[in-house]
Amino acid sequence: MVARIEISHLDKTYIRKPWLWGKAMLRPVLQDINLILPENRVLGLVGESGCGKSTLCKVVLGIEQATAGTVKINGQDIAGLSGTQWKPLRQYMQVVYQDPYASLDPRMNVRQLISEPLDIHGLHLQKKEREQFLKALLDSVGLAENYLDRYAHEFSGGQRQRIAIARALALEPQILIADEPVSALDVSVQAQILNLLKEIKEKRKLSVLFVTHDFAVARFLCDEIAVMYQGKIVEQAPSEELFAHPLHPYTRQLLSAVPSLGKKKQLLAPHAFWEESRNEWPCPFAPRCQNSLDVCQYTLPKIKEVYPGHQVCCALENKLSEEPL
Amino acid sequence: MSVSPILEVRNLQISFVEQNRNRLVLRGLSYSLEKGRVLAVVGESGSGKTVHALGLLSLLPAAARISGGEVRYKGQNLLACSAEQLRQIRGAKIAMIFQDPSASLNPVLTVGQQLIETLRAHESISKEEAARKAIELLDKVGIPNPEKRLDEYPFQFSGGMCQRVMIAMALALKPDILIADEPTTALDVTIQAQILRLMKDLQQEYGMAVIFITHNLALAAAIADDVLVLYGGLCMEQAPAEKLFTHPLHPYTQGLLGSLVSVSRKTEHLPAIPGNPPIAGEPLPGCPFAPRCSQATEKCSQKLPPLFAKGSCYVRCWLEEPHGSTH
Ligand SMILES: Nc1ncnc2c1ncn2[C@@H]1O[C@H](COP(=O)(O)OP(=O)(O)OP(=O)(O)O)[C@@H](O)[C@H]1O
Ligand SMILES: Nc1ncnc2c1ncn2[C@@H]1O[C@H](COP(=O)(O)OP(=O)(O)OP(=O)(O)O)[C@@H](O)[C@H]1O
Ligand SMILES: [Mg+2]
Ligand SMILES: [Mg+2]
Repeated sequence: MVARIEISHLDKTYIRKPWLWGKAMLRPVLQDINLILPENRVLGLVGESGCGKSTLCKVVLGIEQATAGTVKINGQDIAGLSGTQWKPLRQYMQVVYQDPYASLDPRMNVRQLISEPLDIHGLHLQKKEREQFLKALLDSVGLAENYLDRYAHEFSGGQRQRIAIARALALEPQILIADEPVSALDVSVQAQILNLLKEIKEKRKLSVLFVTHDFAVARFLCDEIAVMYQGKIVEQAPSEELFAHPLHPYTRQLLSAVPSLGKKKQLLAPHAFWEESRNEWPCPFAPRCQNSLDVCQYTLPKIKEVYPGHQVCCALENKLSEEPL
Repeated sequence: MSVSPILEVRNLQISFVEQNRNRLVLRGLSYSLEKGRVLAVVGESGSGKTVHALGLLSLLPAAARISGGEVRYKGQNLLACSAEQLRQIRGAKIAMIFQDPSASLNPVLTVGQQLIETLRAHESISKEEAARKAIELLDKVGIPNPEKRLDEYPFQFSGGMCQRVMIAMALALKPDILIADEPTTALDVTIQAQILRLMKDLQQEYGMAVIFITHNLALAAAIADDVLVLYGGLCMEQAPAEKLFTHPLHPYTQGLLGSLVSVSRKTEHLPAIPGNPPIAGEPLPGCPFAPRCSQATEKCSQKLPPLFAKGSCYVRCWLEEPHGSTH
């Protein structure tokens, strides 16, 4: 299978320079990330708020530079690409950002917002065709064609998110980087957009890097899921395998906390304070782990394949429960 | 004896003024909220949830007008308050978590400066005291190493961390009423659970009342006492949470509950409600949901149903019209 995106040994450390003097502060955010996004696949990235999901997207998009490691898009290393070399990649790879309020220029109307990428990449359609195209695109994300002449600031949060999705799909990309694309949408619109993404994926062999914190959404759309914790991938498996045999204690903790209409109580956390993560533990999750043993204090866990395609990064790897939740 | 509500909204109408006409996007909303209670507002994207919340505190964008109604906080009509009176109430008495992060986080000030400013705007405490409180607040919303984070800018925080800073800011002054507009969309389940715990504690300790705008139905079911369902700028159904989620009356509410994605099994196609929502401000003569409703009759598209009372629930649907009424 063709790898659309290949990430190997990627590290990203944010450097905060002091304002006047003093030592620069380093914040390692991604550590040794290895991921492959094949053609016609949806790779889900789940994990705690602040674990580095958006940063990973930004590195792939060339907005942030990797500190170490490589990112290849269609076999091409993106390190040191010039602006003109990026241009074809930008057409090929589109993005939906996490914050719909920041990602759309409020002074542009919907027609301009969606046609802009077409113009930049020189895809000139006849006026009538273009009109048809825009209307069909808007309709597919659940917005009426009358909205074409409205400005971005006139829209609600969920409507903006849908405009952003329409804009990303306008160029018929082969890769879509989607950072929490449906979390601002009500369930019915969300269902519509998820169906649409699935359909497009199958029709056009689209590959999607899909950041979400919603396991239900991930299960519906993703072929493969990677679970991140504090900048590391702690478990990765084909989606159904992950739900059938979640191994890593963090994955299990996340899955058991998924809210549903029937499970009311679990939504409220117990009266516990946040565990200060103790950096001296080799496994970042150890301080919060219910299974952690002495070995976790001196063993640096390595990611290992325990079943074909199912990798987990835990020092207790062969003592883990495999019961489905 | 019935408790007098802390907030009473009566027939609130909001429209956007355009060159030649008014677009009415909130078509008369009424509810009352008692101390210590949680009201969840759910509904279609674009149905007027945010506009309603901004209207309560007169924070609407320039193009918007309140075209009718009343908002009474402890008996005082907020819509008739002076700018100065409103400034006293906002933040300290009624706090808001905005859906749009840029509405509350200033990109050129550090997170610490913003929290300290908020704390000192309504309370006379020293800078050091405020800084100490700010660290405590960040810690409460689960930001690791809060002392180091204080002098960072919002762009150095992740999406969910910004959301948590806004929550901390809103809770800083222990308000009587918290209006939370999609406050946890960027948070994963474990952090969300901690935030909900924090809100619950404030609610129990100080009797804080909450208006919780969300599209996460499981969340609404878990924390709300009452739920209000908006569609096309109108309240379609209002009911105690346990009733609404077990026996939804309105076809739209039923459709929403039917669109939930299941985590416990793999689905091939999701049952979305067919069709698209109405365009806000271009009201149809009948029920706004009629064009998408599988049970709609001719009457539905001609005449807007009123809210019918049904036990402790209210529903705007002709199918629920009490028998024997004359029409
Ligand atoms: N500044 C504005 N100018 C014109 N129309 C606006 C403006 N802001 C909002 N609207 C319109 O008002 C309606 C209600 O918007 P609102 O933001 O209240 O929706 P919402 O229910 O909060 O949706 P979401 O769940 O997507 O946030 C929408 O149809 C929107 O297009
Ligand atoms: N420009 C920056 N400078 C310094 N630190 C940053 C910067 N951007 C992000 N960070 C930090 O990097 C970490 C990871 O952030 P990131 O935005 O990737 O998280 P995330 O997984 O997307 O979280 P969320 O789900 O909350 O959006 C956070 O601790 C954040 O504060
Ligand atoms: Mg993010
Ligand atoms: Mg809104």
